[in-house]
Amino acid sequence: MTVTQPSSVPDAAPLHEPAHQVSPRAVRYWALQGFLGAVVVWGVLFAVYWFVPDGVQRWLGPVFVAILVYTVVEQALEPIIRYRRTRWEVTGERVFAQTGWLSRDQRIAPLSRVQTVDTERGPLMRIFRLANVTVTTASAAGPIRLTCLDTDVADRVTAELARVTGQTRGDAT
Amino acid sequence: MTALPPPTGEPLAPADPGTPPPPPGVGGAQDWQRLSPRMLLVHPVRAIRSMIVPLVLVVFGVTRGDGNSFWFWAAPVFAVLAVLFGVLAWFFTRYRFTQEQLQLRTGVLSRKVVTAPLDRIRSVDLESTPIHRVLGLTKAKVGTGVDDSQIELDGLTRDQASSLRVYLLQRSSAAEVDETEEPGAAGGSEDAARTGGPRRGEDTELARIDWGWLRYAPFSLSSLVVVAGAVGVLGQFGDDLPLDETEVAQDAWGWVAAQALLVLVAGATVVVVLGWVVVSTASYVLNWWNLSLVREAGGKIRTTRGLLTTRSQTIEEAKIRGVRMTEQFLLRFVRGAELTALATGVGSDGTTRLLPPAPRRVVQEVGHALLEEDGPLTMTLTGHGPRARRRIHVSGQWGTLFLAGLAAVPTWWLDVGWFATWPWWVPLAVLVGVGLLNAVVAENAWRNLGHALTDRHLVVQTGAVIRTREVLERGGVIGWVVHQGLFQRRLGLADLTATTAAGAERVVAPNIPLGMALDLADAATPGMLEGWRA
Repeated sequence: MTVTQPSSVPDAAPLHEPAHQVSPRAVRYWALQGFLGAVVVWGVLFAVYWFVPDGVQRWLGPVFVAILVYTVVEQALEPIIRYRRTRWEVTGERVFAQTGWLSRDQRIAPLSRVQTVDTERGPLMRIFRLANVTVTTASAAGPIRLTCLDTDVADRVTAELARVTGQTRGDAT
Repeated sequence: MTALPPPTGEPLAPADPGTPPPPPGVGGAQDWQRLSPRMLLVHPVRAIRSMIVPLVLVVFGVTRGDGNSFWFWAAPVFAVLAVLFGVLAWFFTRYRFTQEQLQLRTGVLSRKVVTAPLDRIRSVDLESTPIHRVLGLTKAKVGTGVDDSQIELDGLTRDQASSLRVYLLQRSSAAEVDETEEPGAAGGSEDAARTGGPRRGEDTELARIDWGWLRYAPFSLSSLVVVAGAVGVLGQFGDDLPLDETEVAQDAWGWVAAQALLVLVAGATVVVVLGWVVVSTASYVLNWWNLSLVREAGGKIRTTRGLLTTRSQTIEEAKIRGVRMTEQFLLRFVRGAELTALATGVGSDGTTRLLPPAPRRVVQEVGHALLEEDGPLTMTLTGHGPRARRRIHVSGQWGTLFLAGLAAVPTWWLDVGWFATWPWWVPLAVLVGVGLLNAVVAENAWRNLGHALTDRHLVVQTGAVIRTREVLERGGVIGWVVHQGLFQRRLGLADLTATTAAGAERVVAPNIPLGMALDLADAATPGMLEGWRA
């Protein structure tokens, strides 16, 4: 029942980042995607501001300006940071992906446990010739997404993963 | 009225465990079989039961005079249609066994065929409601280890069902021996050794209901919900009670009315508590009557239980990847706990309840017997240290700030209606009250939080109000997710998730120092992080 606290918790280095970066075109894709999202937000903000009574406008104004500034800053920073932090690697027997721009999400699964490999291209992604590769295991908690790969790379990775996982026996649970 | 066959079952097991033929009564190798025609009696009963509420409403509507004769006639027509549909569904539902598969065809208008490879069948559940039992029928649910969906054969005779159970699980375990599981990085060969191994002897009983455990029934929170619901329904009649009198009573009657109110509140409390005890005890008896948990020859775990509706669940032991011990805060006071199995392919969240609220000591013993390892449920765990404590406390207080802010806006800036009567200190009171509550919860969560690793299992304990200890077989860990939020990164903490196919498909150790997390993952699944450790 008992839990003992450790006497000291030394700082530890995080895992090495996976070897490969995503396609450089991903920066423009994320920027465009973020911009489209921001336009919707701005539209809603202006519409709300237009319709609320004057008394409310006085204190709602600064709040909205703060939100505006935040979205602008986010537009400027997010794609670049995200590009630097999104990485992936497939070794002989394991797949490792890192995502997140403020948070960090590192996912590892052995290829022997992989069940399906999907490739997906949204309409916006096709403009930039990008594709997501999703690797699923028998656990709903562990899908690994290699986001925004160059389509050629994505095809190669998918083919390679399919080849390796095809050799696995058993039901991979 | 006899119960389900005893756990030992009929000696239908053929001598050679190669590929046993389907037993008689279950279905020939190629023939499509219908479910028992006795199901035709079950459907009308079900139809009537589902129509009972509308029927009662219609009858009441008619007797009150404004009755609508359309509904008076429509209800029986709908009932007849429902019965007809049930008969058609029975007529078009067929199943058969091929050499490799169990196939089930259903559907009146849109036909559907569901198949399960016989070698992949991991669990067989038998369930008989009272109607089923009167007619000697059983509903069988067959689960494969991979999907969550189960194949339902509703309406086998009792003998068919029990031979089906023995046959299906024998087939799959025979297959399991031939085909050693994948030698994945996480040690799948270990399972093969366990299932194909020497356990071919006697059945052993791991647990049996002890009516002394009944004293734990009132401490289970699930029945509180039922009673609260019932009180809520009764509350609908509250308008008829003379409670409004208290507001107008400024004179001598006021005192009397206030006393009456006190008595009423006290009475209601007593009723709720008594109702809770009665309902929880009754549901405990109904659900867990005759519980027996048996390890059968050939590596299967079987539970049988139930007073009116009897249930029997059989899971291949290799598919039980661990257990979960749950202690609600009320149960903690009386040293009680519950036990659940984490398995793959058993439907409903991949969990199977093994023990009702029972003494913690019993839960630990049974759990250890099931895990075949001593320690995971009793051992001292490693806590997550002071920074985890800070993180848990801080993240717990965001809710406090939000609620206080929510209270502050109407109190200080809105002078309309009811809000105008709020005194200025309301937000502060919310801040202090909710803050204290959250601090207590957070402190509890931190004290319960811990992890450990044994030779064969990963152990993680979490929870403040409901403390859960999850024990997951190391071979059942598929992969790892190390998640660090912005604040966690600054404190060097992470949420470590072991992904698995069993149970809720994940075991999460929240707010664990990053170094500990990586050491734990590395030790639990050697080689998985190789080359990426700094």
